[in-house]
Amino acid sequence: MSGIVTYMKRDFLKWGRGKVAVISALVMPAAWLIFVGLALPVQFTGNYLDFITPGILVMTMLSAGLSGGALLMFDKILGFLNKFLALPTPRSSILVSKILFITGRGLIQTTIILVIALLIGATLLSPLQYGLTYFILFLFGVLISTFATTIALYLEDHDSYAAFNTMISMPLFFTSSALMPYSVMPAWLATIAHFNPLSYAIDAVRDVTVGGFPAVPIIVLLVLTGGLLAICTHVFRKVTV
Amino acid sequence: MNAIETTDLTRYYGVLCAVNHLTLSVNNEIFALLGPNGSGKTTTVLMLTTLLTPTEGSASVCGHDVMREGEMVRKSLSYVPQDMAVDIKLTGRENVRFFADLYGVPHAADRVDEALAVMELSDRADDLIRTYSGGMRRRLELAQALVHEPSVLFLDEPTIGLDVAARKRIWEHIRALRKKGMTIFVTTHYMDEADQFCDRVGIISRGQIAALGTPAELKARLMKDVITAKVEGMFALPDVDGIAFVGRNDDEVSFTVENGREALPLLADALKKSGCIVRSMSLREPTLDDVFLQAVGRQEEPHGFEFDKFRIMLRRRK
Repeated sequence: MSGIVTYMKRDFLKWGRGKVAVISALVMPAAWLIFVGLALPVQFTGNYLDFITPGILVMTMLSAGLSGGALLMFDKILGFLNKFLALPTPRSSILVSKILFITGRGLIQTTIILVIALLIGATLLSPLQYGLTYFILFLFGVLISTFATTIALYLEDHDSYAAFNTMISMPLFFTSSALMPYSVMPAWLATIAHFNPLSYAIDAVRDVTVGGFPAVPIIVLLVLTGGLLAICTHVFRKVTV
Repeated sequence: MNAIETTDLTRYYGVLCAVNHLTLSVNNEIFALLGPNGSGKTTTVLMLTTLLTPTEGSASVCGHDVMREGEMVRKSLSYVPQDMAVDIKLTGRENVRFFADLYGVPHAADRVDEALAVMELSDRADDLIRTYSGGMRRRLELAQALVHEPSVLFLDEPTIGLDVAARKRIWEHIRALRKKGMTIFVTTHYMDEADQFCDRVGIISRGQIAALGTPAELKARLMKDVITAKVEGMFALPDVDGIAFVGRNDDEVSFTVENGREALPLLADALKKSGCIVRSMSLREPTLDDVFLQAVGRQEEPHGFEFDKFRIMLRRRK
Protein backbone atom coordinates (compact mmCIF):
# COMPACT_ATOMS: atom_id res chain seq x y z
CA MET A 1 0.00 0.00 0.00
CA SER A 2 2.71 2.49 0.97
CA GLY A 3 4.55 1.45 -2.18
CA ILE A 4 1.62 2.56 -4.33
CA VAL A 5 1.54 5.97 -2.65
CA THR A 6 5.32 6.39 -3.03
CA TYR A 7 5.30 5.49 -6.72
CA MET A 8 2.35 7.86 -7.30
CA LYS A 9 4.13 10.64 -5.44
CA ARG A 10 7.09 10.30 -7.78
CA ASP A 11 4.88 10.55 -10.87
CA PHE A 12 2.94 13.53 -9.55
CA LEU A 13 6.17 15.36 -8.63
CA LYS A 14 7.59 14.75 -12.09
CA TRP A 15 4.34 15.78 -13.77
CA GLY A 16 4.04 18.97 -11.74
CA ARG A 17 7.54 20.04 -12.76
CA GLY A 18 6.84 19.85 -16.49
CA LYS A 19 4.75 23.00 -16.80
CA VAL A 20 4.36 22.85 -20.57
CA ALA A 21 2.89 19.35 -20.41
CA VAL A 22 0.44 20.33 -17.65
CA ILE A 23 -0.98 23.23 -19.65
CA SER A 24 -0.83 21.79 -23.15
CA ALA A 25 -2.93 18.80 -22.11
CA LEU A 26 -5.77 21.20 -21.26
CA VAL A 27 -5.69 23.27 -24.43
CA MET A 28 -7.37 20.77 -26.74
CA PRO A 29 -10.44 19.91 -24.63
CA ALA A 30 -10.84 23.58 -23.68
CA ALA A 31 -10.75 24.55 -27.36
CA TRP A 32 -13.41 21.96 -28.19
CA LEU A 33 -15.57 23.20 -25.37
CA ILE A 34 -15.33 26.86 -26.36
CA PHE A 35 -15.09 26.78 -30.15
CA VAL A 36 -17.41 23.86 -30.81
CA GLY A 37 -19.59 23.87 -27.68
CA LEU A 38 -20.40 27.56 -27.94
CA ALA A 39 -20.30 28.06 -31.68
CA LEU A 40 -21.79 25.04 -33.45
CA PRO A 41 -25.34 25.75 -34.65
CA VAL A 42 -27.41 22.66 -33.83
CA GLN A 43 -31.14 22.04 -33.97
CA PHE A 44 -31.59 19.02 -31.65
CA THR A 45 -31.01 20.89 -28.36
CA GLY A 46 -31.36 24.37 -27.03
CA ASN A 47 -28.17 24.16 -24.89
CA TYR A 48 -25.43 22.47 -26.90
CA LEU A 49 -22.81 23.31 -24.25
CA ASP A 50 -24.67 21.15 -21.71
CA PHE A 51 -24.91 18.41 -24.31
CA ILE A 52 -21.26 18.41 -25.31
CA THR A 53 -19.71 18.87 -21.83
CA PRO A 54 -19.97 15.16 -20.85
CA GLY A 55 -18.35 14.28 -24.18
CA ILE A 56 -15.48 16.69 -23.61
CA LEU A 57 -14.96 15.46 -20.04
CA VAL A 58 -14.66 11.89 -21.30
CA MET A 59 -12.42 13.06 -24.14
CA THR A 60 -10.12 14.76 -21.60
CA MET A 61 -9.93 11.50 -19.71
CA LEU A 62 -9.29 9.62 -22.96
CA SER A 63 -6.32 11.74 -23.97
CA ALA A 64 -4.96 11.76 -20.40
CA GLY A 65 -5.16 7.96 -20.36
CA LEU A 66 -3.66 7.44 -23.79
CA SER A 67 -0.74 9.79 -23.16
CA GLY A 68 -0.18 8.15 -19.78
CA GLY A 69 0.15 4.74 -21.36
CA ALA A 70 3.70 5.54 -22.38
CA LEU A 71 4.81 6.13 -18.77
CA LEU A 72 5.35 2.54 -17.72
CA MET A 73 6.93 1.77 -21.09
CA PHE A 74 9.41 4.61 -20.54
CA ASP A 75 10.19 3.35 -17.04
CA LYS A 76 10.99 0.05 -18.69
CA ILE A 77 13.06 1.42 -21.58
CA LEU A 78 15.05 3.79 -19.36
CA GLY A 79 15.91 1.10 -16.81
CA PHE A 80 13.76 2.34 -13.91
CA LEU A 81 11.58 -0.74 -14.02
CA ASN A 82 14.53 -3.05 -13.41
CA LYS A 83 15.49 -1.05 -10.34
CA PHE A 84 11.92 -1.15 -9.05
CA LEU A 85 11.59 -4.88 -9.68
CA ALA A 86 14.68 -5.52 -7.55
CA LEU A 87 12.98 -3.85 -4.55
CA PRO A 88 11.13 -5.76 -1.84
CA THR A 89 8.05 -3.59 -2.51
CA PRO A 90 5.29 -5.77 -4.04
CA ARG A 91 5.70 -5.70 -7.81
CA SER A 92 1.98 -5.25 -8.41
CA SER A 93 2.16 -1.82 -6.76
CA ILE A 94 4.23 -0.59 -9.73
CA LEU A 95 1.32 -1.30 -12.08
CA VAL A 96 -1.47 -0.25 -9.72
CA SER A 97 0.23 3.06 -8.89
CA LYS A 98 0.73 3.84 -12.56
CA ILE A 99 -2.93 3.26 -13.42
CA LEU A 100 -4.05 5.27 -10.39
CA PHE A 101 -1.67 8.10 -11.26
CA ILE A 102 -2.85 8.32 -14.88
CA THR A 103 -6.48 8.25 -13.73
CA GLY A 104 -5.84 10.78 -10.96
CA ARG A 105 -4.07 13.12 -13.34
CA GLY A 106 -7.00 12.78 -15.76
CA LEU A 107 -9.46 13.63 -12.98
CA ILE A 108 -7.53 16.81 -12.17
CA GLN A 109 -7.63 17.79 -15.84
CA THR A 110 -11.35 17.03 -16.17
CA THR A 111 -11.99 19.15 -13.07
CA ILE A 112 -10.35 22.14 -14.74
CA ILE A 113 -12.35 21.53 -17.91
CA LEU A 114 -15.52 21.26 -15.83
CA VAL A 115 -14.78 24.61 -14.19
CA ILE A 116 -14.22 26.19 -17.62
CA ALA A 117 -17.54 24.72 -18.81
CA LEU A 118 -19.33 26.24 -15.81
CA LEU A 119 -17.65 29.60 -16.39
CA ILE A 120 -18.87 29.75 -19.99
CA GLY A 121 -22.41 28.83 -19.09
CA ALA A 122 -22.94 25.12 -18.42
CA THR A 123 -25.67 24.25 -15.92
CA LEU A 124 -24.59 23.68 -12.30
CA LEU A 125 -25.46 20.20 -10.98
CA SER A 126 -26.12 18.84 -7.49
CA PRO A 127 -23.23 17.39 -5.39
CA LEU A 128 -24.67 13.89 -5.83
CA GLN A 129 -24.64 14.29 -9.60
CA TYR A 130 -21.02 15.46 -9.50
CA GLY A 131 -20.13 12.52 -7.28
CA LEU A 132 -21.65 10.10 -9.78
CA THR A 133 -19.97 11.92 -12.68
CA TYR A 134 -16.59 11.56 -10.97
CA PHE A 135 -17.23 7.90 -10.26
CA ILE A 136 -17.97 7.24 -13.95
CA LEU A 137 -14.96 9.27 -15.06
CA PHE A 138 -12.75 7.38 -12.60
CA LEU A 139 -14.01 4.06 -13.91
CA PHE A 140 -13.46 5.14 -17.49
CA GLY A 141 -10.00 6.49 -16.55
CA VAL A 142 -8.97 3.14 -15.08
CA LEU A 143 -10.33 1.43 -18.20
CA ILE A 144 -8.46 3.61 -20.66
CA SER A 145 -5.18 3.81 -18.73
CA THR A 146 -5.14 0.04 -18.29
CA PHE A 147 -5.75 -0.36 -22.00
CA ALA A 148 -3.06 2.18 -22.94
CA THR A 149 -0.50 0.74 -20.51
CA THR A 150 -1.08 -2.78 -21.85
CA ILE A 151 -0.66 -1.71 -25.48
CA ALA A 152 2.48 0.30 -24.69
CA LEU A 153 4.03 -2.56 -22.71
CA TYR A 154 3.25 -4.88 -25.58
CA LEU A 155 4.57 -2.60 -28.34
CA GLU A 156 7.60 -1.64 -26.25
CA ASP A 157 8.67 1.15 -28.55
CA HIS A 158 7.80 4.79 -28.23
CA ASP A 159 7.37 5.56 -31.94
CA SER A 160 4.96 2.69 -32.47
CA TYR A 161 3.01 3.70 -29.40
CA ALA A 162 2.78 7.35 -30.49
CA ALA A 163 1.52 6.21 -33.90
CA PHE A 164 -1.03 3.94 -32.26
CA ASN A 165 -2.15 6.76 -30.00
CA THR A 166 -2.69 9.15 -32.93
CA MET A 167 -4.40 6.43 -34.90
CA ILE A 168 -7.09 5.61 -32.34
CA SER A 169 -7.81 8.79 -30.37
CA MET A 170 -9.66 10.81 -33.04
CA PRO A 171 -11.67 7.92 -34.56
CA LEU A 172 -12.70 6.82 -31.05
CA PHE A 173 -13.92 10.31 -30.27
CA PHE A 174 -15.80 10.90 -33.53
CA THR A 175 -17.49 7.50 -33.52
CA SER A 176 -18.83 8.05 -30.00
CA SER A 177 -21.93 9.87 -28.87
CA ALA A 178 -19.84 12.88 -27.79
CA LEU A 179 -20.94 15.35 -30.45
CA MET A 180 -24.53 14.34 -31.28
CA PRO A 181 -27.29 12.06 -30.01
CA TYR A 182 -27.88 8.69 -31.71
CA SER A 183 -31.14 10.02 -33.17
CA VAL A 184 -29.44 12.51 -35.47
CA MET A 185 -26.54 10.23 -36.48
CA PRO A 186 -26.55 8.44 -39.82
CA ALA A 187 -27.60 4.83 -39.18
CA TRP A 188 -24.13 3.38 -39.83
CA LEU A 189 -22.52 5.79 -37.38
CA ALA A 190 -25.14 5.07 -34.74
CA THR A 191 -24.34 1.35 -35.01
CA ILE A 192 -20.62 1.97 -34.49
CA ALA A 193 -21.31 4.44 -31.68
CA HIS A 194 -23.33 1.83 -29.79
CA PHE A 195 -20.25 -0.40 -29.62
CA ASN A 196 -17.79 2.34 -28.71
CA PRO A 197 -16.74 2.15 -25.03
CA LEU A 198 -16.48 5.94 -25.03
CA SER A 199 -20.21 6.15 -25.69
CA TYR A 200 -20.96 4.17 -22.55
CA ALA A 201 -19.02 6.64 -20.41
CA ILE A 202 -20.51 9.66 -22.22
CA ASP A 203 -24.09 8.34 -22.10
CA ALA A 204 -23.65 7.53 -18.42
CA VAL A 205 -22.44 11.04 -17.56
CA ARG A 206 -25.16 12.57 -19.73
CA ASP A 207 -27.78 10.45 -17.99
CA VAL A 208 -26.48 11.67 -14.62
CA THR A 209 -26.70 15.31 -15.71
CA VAL A 210 -30.41 14.94 -16.47
CA GLY A 211 -31.04 13.26 -13.13
CA GLY A 212 -30.92 9.55 -14.02
CA PHE A 213 -28.91 6.66 -12.65
CA PRO A 214 -27.11 4.90 -15.54
CA ALA A 215 -26.95 1.35 -14.15
CA VAL A 216 -26.37 -0.46 -17.45
CA PRO A 217 -23.47 1.67 -18.76
CA ILE A 218 -21.81 1.51 -15.33
CA ILE A 219 -22.06 -2.28 -15.31
CA VAL A 220 -20.65 -2.46 -18.85
CA LEU A 221 -17.75 -0.20 -17.86
CA LEU A 222 -17.11 -2.28 -14.73
CA VAL A 223 -17.01 -5.52 -16.73
CA LEU A 224 -14.73 -4.02 -19.42
CA THR A 225 -12.40 -2.56 -16.80
CA GLY A 226 -12.20 -5.85 -14.93
CA GLY A 227 -11.38 -7.79 -18.09
CA LEU A 228 -8.73 -5.33 -19.20
CA LEU A 229 -7.12 -5.28 -15.75
CA ALA A 230 -6.78 -9.06 -15.94
CA ILE A 231 -5.14 -8.85 -19.38
CA CYS A 232 -2.87 -6.00 -18.28
CA THR A 233 -1.74 -7.88 -15.16
CA HIS A 234 -0.94 -10.84 -17.36
CA VAL A 235 1.13 -8.76 -19.81
CA PHE A 236 2.88 -7.01 -16.92
CA ARG A 237 3.78 -10.35 -15.32
CA LYS A 238 5.10 -11.56 -18.63
CA VAL A 239 7.43 -8.61 -19.12
CA THR A 240 8.65 -8.71 -15.54
CA VAL A 241 9.27 -12.41 -14.80
CA MET B 1 26.65 -19.16 4.93
CA ASN B 2 28.03 -17.36 1.90
CA ALA B 3 26.42 -14.13 0.76
CA ILE B 4 26.04 -15.41 -2.81
CA GLU B 5 25.94 -19.06 -3.77
CA THR B 6 25.10 -20.52 -7.17
CA THR B 7 24.92 -24.15 -8.23
CA ASP B 8 24.79 -25.08 -11.90
CA LEU B 9 23.00 -21.83 -12.64
CA THR B 10 21.89 -21.93 -16.28
CA ARG B 11 19.86 -19.68 -18.50
CA TYR B 12 18.82 -20.20 -22.09
CA TYR B 13 17.35 -17.53 -24.38
CA GLY B 14 15.72 -19.79 -26.91
CA VAL B 15 18.61 -21.81 -28.29
CA LEU B 16 21.28 -19.43 -27.03
CA CYS B 17 22.85 -20.53 -23.78
CA ALA B 18 23.71 -17.27 -22.00
CA VAL B 19 24.84 -18.78 -18.71
CA ASN B 20 26.02 -22.36 -18.63
CA HIS B 21 26.13 -24.31 -15.33
CA LEU B 22 27.70 -21.54 -13.31
CA THR B 23 28.83 -22.58 -9.83
CA LEU B 24 30.17 -19.81 -7.67
CA SER B 25 30.34 -18.63 -4.09
CA VAL B 26 31.08 -15.11 -3.04
CA ASN B 27 31.37 -13.79 0.48
CA ASN B 28 32.36 -10.51 2.07
CA GLU B 29 34.56 -9.30 -0.76
CA ILE B 30 34.53 -7.31 -3.97
CA PHE B 31 33.96 -9.94 -6.59
CA ALA B 32 34.20 -8.98 -10.25
CA LEU B 33 32.65 -10.98 -13.02
CA LEU B 34 34.86 -10.15 -15.97
CA GLY B 35 34.03 -10.78 -19.54
CA PRO B 36 33.41 -9.24 -22.93
CA ASN B 37 29.99 -8.03 -24.10
CA GLY B 38 27.55 -10.87 -24.43
CA SER B 39 29.43 -13.31 -22.22
CA GLY B 40 26.58 -13.71 -19.72
CA LYS B 41 27.54 -11.21 -17.01
CA THR B 42 24.31 -9.25 -16.95
CA THR B 43 22.20 -12.40 -17.28
CA THR B 44 23.91 -13.77 -14.17
CA VAL B 45 23.21 -10.59 -12.22
CA LEU B 46 19.57 -10.54 -13.39
CA MET B 47 19.09 -14.07 -12.09
CA LEU B 48 20.75 -13.28 -8.76
CA THR B 49 18.57 -10.19 -8.30
CA THR B 50 15.38 -12.20 -9.07
CA LEU B 51 14.68 -10.28 -12.28
CA LEU B 52 15.09 -13.36 -14.44
CA THR B 53 14.15 -16.97 -13.74
CA PRO B 54 16.97 -19.49 -14.20
CA THR B 55 16.34 -22.25 -16.72
CA GLU B 56 18.22 -24.73 -14.55
CA GLY B 57 20.19 -24.82 -11.33
CA SER B 58 19.79 -22.75 -8.21
CA ALA B 59 21.16 -19.67 -6.53
CA SER B 60 20.85 -18.04 -3.15
CA VAL B 61 21.57 -14.61 -1.73
CA CYS B 62 22.14 -14.37 2.04
CA GLY B 63 20.81 -17.89 2.38
CA HIS B 64 17.53 -17.14 0.57
CA ASP B 65 16.71 -18.99 -2.61
CA VAL B 66 16.24 -16.61 -5.54
CA MET B 67 13.31 -18.53 -6.95
CA ARG B 68 11.37 -19.43 -3.83
CA GLU B 69 12.16 -16.53 -1.49
CA GLY B 70 12.25 -13.62 -3.91
CA GLU B 71 11.06 -11.04 -1.44
CA MET B 72 13.64 -11.98 1.21
CA VAL B 73 16.36 -11.88 -1.45
CA ARG B 74 15.25 -8.44 -2.59
CA LYS B 75 15.23 -7.23 1.03
CA SER B 76 18.89 -8.10 1.48
CA LEU B 77 20.30 -6.72 -1.77
CA SER B 78 20.56 -3.58 -3.80
CA TYR B 79 20.95 -3.55 -7.55
CA VAL B 80 22.35 -0.74 -9.69
CA PRO B 81 21.83 -1.59 -13.36
CA GLN B 82 24.04 -0.51 -16.19
CA ASP B 83 21.80 2.20 -17.66
CA MET B 84 21.76 5.20 -15.35
CA ALA B 85 18.16 5.60 -14.27
CA VAL B 86 17.61 8.61 -12.01
CA ASP B 87 14.72 11.04 -12.33
CA ILE B 88 16.21 14.22 -13.76
CA LYS B 89 13.20 16.33 -12.79
CA LEU B 90 13.67 15.46 -9.12
CA THR B 91 16.39 16.63 -6.74
CA GLY B 92 19.09 14.35 -5.39
CA ARG B 93 17.39 14.22 -2.01
CA GLU B 94 14.00 13.39 -3.54
CA ASN B 95 15.51 10.60 -5.60
CA VAL B 96 17.10 8.98 -2.55
CA ARG B 97 14.05 9.60 -0.35
CA PHE B 98 11.93 7.84 -2.97
CA PHE B 99 13.99 4.67 -2.53
CA ALA B 100 14.06 5.02 1.26
CA ASP B 101 10.25 5.12 1.26
CA LEU B 102 9.99 2.13 -1.08
CA TYR B 103 12.29 0.14 1.21
CA GLY B 104 10.31 1.32 4.21
CA VAL B 105 13.46 2.55 5.95
CA PRO B 106 12.81 3.84 9.49
CA HIS B 107 13.95 7.44 10.17
CA ALA B 108 14.05 7.94 6.42
CA ALA B 109 15.09 11.61 6.45
CA ASP B 110 18.21 10.90 8.53
CA ARG B 111 19.15 7.85 6.49
CA VAL B 112 18.80 9.85 3.27
CA ASP B 113 21.10 12.57 4.62
CA GLU B 114 23.57 9.93 5.69
CA ALA B 115 23.59 8.12 2.33
CA LEU B 116 24.01 11.42 0.49
CA ALA B 117 26.88 12.37 2.81
CA VAL B 118 28.65 9.05 2.26
CA MET B 119 28.51 9.64 -1.49
CA GLU B 120 29.71 13.25 -1.01
CA LEU B 121 26.56 14.74 -2.48
CA SER B 122 25.31 16.70 0.54
CA ASP B 123 26.05 20.15 -0.87
CA ARG B 124 24.21 19.40 -4.12
CA ALA B 125 21.37 17.39 -2.55
CA ASP B 126 18.65 19.93 -3.31
CA ASP B 127 19.61 20.56 -6.94
CA LEU B 128 17.73 18.94 -9.78
CA ILE B 129 19.49 15.91 -11.26
CA ARG B 130 19.52 17.52 -14.70
CA THR B 131 22.39 19.67 -13.37
CA TYR B 132 24.41 16.63 -12.18
CA SER B 133 27.39 15.23 -14.08
CA GLY B 134 27.61 11.56 -15.07
CA GLY B 135 29.84 10.70 -12.13
CA MET B 136 27.48 12.43 -9.69
CA ARG B 137 24.49 10.60 -11.12
CA ARG B 138 26.29 7.32 -10.62
CA ARG B 139 27.11 8.25 -7.03
CA LEU B 140 23.49 9.20 -6.52
CA GLU B 141 22.46 5.74 -7.69
CA LEU B 142 24.87 4.28 -5.15
CA ALA B 143 23.28 6.49 -2.48
CA GLN B 144 19.85 5.12 -3.49
CA ALA B 145 21.20 1.60 -3.26
CA LEU B 146 22.79 2.17 0.15
CA VAL B 147 19.85 3.84 1.83
CA HIS B 148 18.50 0.57 3.29
CA GLU B 149 21.93 -0.77 4.24
CA PRO B 150 21.90 -3.93 2.11
CA SER B 151 24.18 -6.89 2.83
CA VAL B 152 24.86 -7.50 -0.85
CA LEU B 153 25.33 -4.88 -3.54
CA PHE B 154 25.10 -5.76 -7.23
CA LEU B 155 26.69 -3.27 -9.61
CA ASP B 156 26.40 -3.83 -13.33
CA GLU B 157 29.23 -1.98 -15.12
CA PRO B 158 29.45 0.73 -12.44
CA THR B 159 32.06 2.85 -14.22
CA ILE B 160 30.87 2.62 -17.81
CA GLY B 161 30.89 5.96 -19.59
CA LEU B 162 32.68 7.85 -16.80
CA ASP B 163 35.96 9.74 -16.98
CA VAL B 164 39.11 8.55 -15.23
CA ALA B 165 38.70 10.69 -12.12
CA ALA B 166 35.04 9.75 -11.68
CA ARG B 167 35.89 6.07 -12.09
CA LYS B 168 38.54 6.20 -9.43
CA ARG B 169 36.14 7.92 -7.07
CA ILE B 170 33.42 5.30 -7.63
CA TRP B 171 35.91 2.54 -6.90
CA GLU B 172 37.11 4.27 -3.74
CA HIS B 173 33.51 4.36 -2.53
CA ILE B 174 33.06 0.69 -3.37
CA ARG B 175 36.22 -0.17 -1.40
CA ALA B 176 34.94 1.82 1.57
CA LEU B 177 31.67 -0.12 1.52
CA ARG B 178 33.57 -3.39 1.41
CA LYS B 179 35.49 -2.35 4.54
CA LYS B 180 32.17 -1.91 6.32
CA GLY B 181 31.44 -5.59 5.63
CA MET B 182 29.28 -5.41 2.54
CA THR B 183 29.56 -8.05 -0.19
CA ILE B 184 29.90 -6.41 -3.57
CA PHE B 185 29.30 -8.21 -6.84
CA VAL B 186 30.50 -6.18 -9.82
CA THR B 187 30.42 -6.90 -13.51
CA THR B 188 32.86 -5.10 -15.74
CA HIS B 189 34.82 -5.47 -18.91
CA TYR B 190 37.61 -3.20 -17.72
CA MET B 191 40.40 -5.61 -16.78
CA ASP B 192 42.62 -2.90 -15.28
CA GLU B 193 39.90 -1.81 -12.84
CA ALA B 194 39.23 -5.36 -11.73
CA ASP B 195 42.96 -5.91 -11.26
CA GLN B 196 43.38 -2.80 -9.18
CA PHE B 197 40.25 -2.74 -7.04
CA CYS B 198 38.70 -6.20 -6.72
CA ASP B 199 39.50 -8.94 -4.21
CA ARG B 200 38.63 -11.79 -6.52
CA VAL B 201 37.70 -12.07 -10.17
CA GLY B 202 35.93 -14.67 -12.24
CA ILE B 203 36.52 -14.56 -15.97
CA ILE B 204 33.37 -15.57 -17.78
CA SER B 205 33.30 -16.65 -21.38
CA ARG B 206 30.30 -18.02 -23.27
CA GLY B 207 28.43 -18.35 -20.01
CA GLN B 208 31.08 -20.38 -18.24
CA ILE B 209 33.74 -19.48 -15.70
CA ALA B 210 37.07 -19.77 -17.48
CA ALA B 211 39.31 -18.64 -14.62
CA LEU B 212 38.67 -17.81 -10.97
CA GLY B 213 40.90 -16.38 -8.26
CA THR B 214 42.52 -13.23 -6.91
CA PRO B 215 44.08 -11.03 -9.60
CA ALA B 216 47.53 -11.85 -8.18
CA GLU B 217 46.88 -15.62 -8.27
CA LEU B 218 45.62 -15.47 -11.80
CA LYS B 219 48.59 -13.48 -12.97
CA ALA B 220 50.93 -15.85 -11.15
CA ARG B 221 49.61 -18.67 -13.31
CA LEU B 222 51.56 -17.03 -16.09
CA MET B 223 55.33 -16.80 -15.78
CA LYS B 224 57.10 -13.67 -14.61
CA ASP B 225 57.26 -11.83 -17.92
CA VAL B 226 55.04 -11.43 -20.94
CA ILE B 227 56.44 -10.82 -24.41
CA THR B 228 54.16 -9.47 -27.08
CA ALA B 229 55.26 -9.51 -30.70
CA LYS B 230 53.65 -7.88 -33.71
CA VAL B 231 54.02 -10.30 -36.60
CA GLU B 232 53.13 -10.43 -40.27
CA GLY B 233 52.77 -13.34 -42.60
CA MET B 234 52.62 -17.05 -41.78
CA PHE B 235 52.68 -17.66 -38.06
CA ALA B 236 53.66 -21.01 -36.62
CA LEU B 237 54.09 -21.70 -32.91
CA PRO B 238 57.82 -21.56 -32.23
CA ASP B 239 59.13 -24.44 -30.15
CA VAL B 240 61.54 -22.92 -27.67
CA ASP B 241 62.16 -24.30 -24.18
CA GLY B 242 60.77 -22.10 -21.40
CA ILE B 243 58.51 -20.06 -23.67
CA ALA B 244 54.78 -20.68 -23.42
CA PHE B 245 52.19 -19.36 -25.85
CA VAL B 246 49.46 -17.21 -24.29
CA GLY B 247 47.26 -16.26 -27.18
CA ARG B 248 46.80 -14.25 -30.31
CA ASN B 249 44.91 -11.01 -30.86
CA ASP B 250 44.87 -10.01 -34.56
CA ASP B 251 48.54 -9.53 -35.50
CA GLU B 252 49.77 -9.58 -31.92
CA VAL B 253 50.99 -12.80 -30.36
CA SER B 254 51.79 -13.10 -26.66
CA PHE B 255 54.12 -15.46 -24.82
CA THR B 256 54.98 -15.88 -21.20
CA VAL B 257 58.48 -16.59 -19.97
CA GLU B 258 60.44 -16.76 -16.73
CA ASN B 259 63.22 -14.40 -17.84
CA GLY B 260 62.09 -11.99 -20.49
CA ARG B 261 65.42 -10.31 -21.24
CA GLU B 262 67.06 -13.61 -22.17
CA ALA B 263 64.05 -14.96 -24.01
CA LEU B 264 63.61 -11.95 -26.29
CA PRO B 265 66.39 -12.72 -28.81
CA LEU B 266 65.62 -16.47 -28.74
CA LEU B 267 61.98 -15.81 -29.52
CA ALA B 268 62.81 -13.33 -32.27
CA ASP B 269 65.05 -15.89 -33.96
CA ALA B 270 62.49 -18.66 -33.64
CA LEU B 271 59.71 -16.51 -35.08
CA LYS B 272 61.90 -15.49 -38.01
CA LYS B 273 62.80 -19.12 -38.62
CA SER B 274 59.14 -20.11 -38.69
CA GLY B 275 58.66 -17.75 -41.62
CA CYS B 276 56.98 -14.63 -40.31
CA ILE B 277 58.18 -11.05 -40.19
CA VAL B 278 58.50 -9.56 -36.71
CA ARG B 279 57.55 -5.87 -36.70
CA SER B 280 58.03 -5.11 -33.02
CA MET B 281 58.43 -6.81 -29.67
CA SER B 282 57.70 -5.65 -26.15
CA LEU B 283 58.40 -6.99 -22.71
CA ARG B 284 56.22 -6.32 -19.67
CA GLU B 285 54.70 -7.80 -16.54
CA PRO B 286 51.57 -9.90 -16.92
CA THR B 287 48.17 -8.18 -16.63
CA LEU B 288 44.67 -9.57 -16.37
CA ASP B 289 44.39 -9.02 -20.11
CA ASP B 290 46.97 -11.75 -20.62
CA VAL B 291 45.16 -14.02 -18.16
CA PHE B 292 42.00 -13.38 -20.09
CA LEU B 293 43.64 -14.05 -23.44
CA GLN B 294 45.03 -17.33 -22.16
CA ALA B 295 41.77 -18.38 -20.51
CA VAL B 296 39.34 -17.68 -23.31
CA GLY B 297 41.29 -16.73 -26.41
CA ARG B 298 39.90 -14.13 -28.73
CA GLN B 299 36.30 -13.53 -27.98
CA GLU B 300 33.59 -12.86 -30.47
CA GLU B 301 30.12 -11.66 -29.72
CA PRO B 302 27.60 -14.46 -29.80
CA HIS B 303 26.05 -15.03 -33.17
CA GLY B 304 24.12 -17.68 -34.99
CA PHE B 305 21.03 -17.50 -32.85
CA GLU B 306 17.55 -16.98 -34.17
CA PHE B 307 16.59 -13.32 -34.42
CA ASP B 308 12.91 -13.94 -33.64
CA LYS B 309 13.79 -15.65 -30.41
CA PHE B 310 16.15 -12.82 -29.58
CA ARG B 311 13.27 -10.39 -30.05
CA ILE B 312 11.08 -12.38 -27.74
CA MET B 313 13.87 -12.43 -25.20
CA LEU B 314 14.21 -8.64 -25.43
CA ARG B 315 10.49 -8.27 -25.01
CA ARG B 316 10.58 -10.35 -21.86
CA ARG B 317 13.63 -8.76 -20.43
CA LYS B 318 14.78 -5.26 -21.15
